Amino acid sequence: MKVVVADDSRVMRQIVIRTLRQAGYDWWEIEEAEDGAVALEKIRASQPDFVLSDWNMPEMTGIDLLRSLRREGNETPFAFVTSEGSAAMRQQAEQAGALFLIAKPFTAEIFRDTIDPFIA
Amino acid sequence: MTIPATWEPLSAVDPVLTIAQDLFTTMIDGEPGHLNPWAGADPDLEDPRYTWVDVNGPVVTRVMLTASRVTGERLTRALLGMDTVEYVCDADFADAVGEIANVVGGNVKSLVTNPGALTLPVVTHERPDMDTATCLLETYFGWRGAPLGVGLWALT
Repeated sequence: MKVVVADDSRVMRQIVIRTLRQAGYDWWEIEEAEDGAVALEKIRASQPDFVLSDWNMPEMTGIDLLRSLRREGNETPFAFVTSEGSAAMRQQAEQAGALFLIAKPFTAEIFRDTIDPFIA
Repeated sequence: MTIPATWEPLSAVDPVLTIAQDLFTTMIDGEPGHLNPWAGADPDLEDPRYTWVDVNGPVVTRVMLTASRVTGERLTRALLGMDTVEYVCDADFADAVGEIANVVGGNVKSLVTNPGALTLPVVTHERPDMDTATCLLETYFGWRGAPLGVGLWALT
């Protein structure tokens, strides 16, 4: 399974990937993107099975990335891992077509409990 | 009609301490108990670094963390799973402490009504000019014996 992890923080990308491994997704083939614009190009090129994205990024935010994909007719499953988990942002994410939003800080258990239902 | 952000829920330290403890437990220490309120007088930080994010809106509010360079390097190593003596470059330092401020700021923002967008983190050696800002909260936590300053400031 090919997955794109988008976050402008290299530290956070590393933590997200490490947590995915701890949650049992060590078989995922992960490609990293350092902002939304780079993620858009990589998603177009590699056609991943799943995208995990930060929200607040330079060049292109996560929500703009998701909206750009959907405008292009790209329905790649998409979810957020972000520092903001308010009800308003969750609603905004859902309306744009995101599967879920995981708020930082997170644990491997939270990843597993949130992601498992969508990849069964 | 623009409804101003409401920050009163954060005038007490407890919600911010809870946010910080959750962050340190899950992503830095891997176990609880290593981040607590600072006991005693406000400490003098050696070679401090200032890290902040702003929450835009009718009132721009700054969430700022202050720590010595040495403490920031320890945090960076913990976040990146580095050895305790491994060299920490400036880019990794700024990325790591910036992400801590980002997570604290994002969670603080989630607690209040009608906030605006969160800015990207900024890390500086000099304390930013906040002479005209109003302090909403300024306190210190202790992480494994090292002081960490946390402050909330209304800039406008």
